[in-house]
Amino acid sequence: MSENTTENSQESSYLTDEFLNRLKALSEALESGNSGIIHGLIDEMTTLRESTLYQELGKITREIHESINAFSNDEKVAKLATESIPDAKERLNFIVTKTDEAAHKTMEGAEATMVLSDGLSDTAGSFRKRWEKFRNRQLSKEEFINLNDEIDQFFDAIDDNSRKINSKMTDIMLAQDYQDITGQMIKQVINMVQEIEDKMVRLVTISGARSAPIPEEIVDGEIAEGPQLPTADKNKVATSQGDVDDILASLGF
Amino acid sequence: MKILIVDDFSTMRRIVKNLLRDLGFNNTSEADDGQTALPMLKSGKFDFLVTDWNMPGMDGLTLLKEVRADENLKNMPVLMVTAEAKREQIVIAAQAGVNGYVVKPFTAITLKEKINKIFERLEG
Repeated sequence: MSENTTENSQESSYLTDEFLNRLKALSEALESGNSGIIHGLIDEMTTLRESTLYQELGKITREIHESINAFSNDEKVAKLATESIPDAKERLNFIVTKTDEAAHKTMEGAEATMVLSDGLSDTAGSFRKRWEKFRNRQLSKEEFINLNDEIDQFFDAIDDNSRKINSKMTDIMLAQDYQDITGQMIKQVINMVQEIEDKMVRLVTISGARSAPIPEEIVDGEIAEGPQLPTADKNKVATSQGDVDDILASLGF
Repeated sequence: MKILIVDDFSTMRRIVKNLLRDLGFNNTSEADDGQTALPMLKSGKFDFLVTDWNMPGMDGLTLLKEVRADENLKNMPVLMVTAEAKREQIVIAAQAGVNGYVVKPFTAITLKEKINKIFERLEG
């Protein structure tokens, strides 16, 4: 339907009164059989039609030219290329560095905490046997004195290690401050990508339907693609370890 | 048991290393891609390889294929720990001879399960 409408409006662009009058005259000339007039009229009509077509073509060319000029003179486009994109790259690199630092700081804290808690648990374990002997009244006086001293030291160690664990936990907590800064930066980059998207849409609109159809993506399973979005097509992507196990099981794993 | 951990992100290597230590595997080494890992594997008498897929230089799939093609390394158990989650990728890794496949993000329990499964099968 819409195609016909477009064709009709294009056709009618040269069907002016000038053209129609000649058409009428042509039909009269055909009846009278005056070949001189017939040829003259056909020539005139061809010229009329061609000149209208050239005018239309000129108009379209000018419109495209102006659109492209407007696009390339748009300061925002220039700014996107020279400032925003390099800026976004810098921000994303900063985010990579920041998250890497935070992950290492967190792991340092966790590793140190594990060592401290393992130390306490090992010492507590070493008391257990002697404590049982003490309860069964099998511990010598000398052993009891030693145990007594060690328990005193153990209380100090609990105190000391708890304070250290607490301080490590605070470090771990503070290491999470990257989320605030990187979150804001990611939002800035999202805004910039949105702006680029808008400009691209405009560019596509200018070029109209002249662009070639988008070729279907060729998928090579051997090439690493990185993480998939959680919203990915479940028929193509394993969204959990369970899915992976099912696929492997179907292959006889 | 000597284990080589290959991943381009040091944080991920550190996580895997810590989890392996928790499982009682203390003898681990690290490499940041296949190109660094391969000579280490060839000279280092490793018993087990844990590798990422997506890495600069040589990726994990290529490393796996190199290992399977090497007369001295071809029987080495290989666990892939990766974010690559497309069905066809998992199939390709399986065909290339991977012994286990863990998708990121993973839990300590998953990693433990897969490692145990690999060793059970090797012993059985």
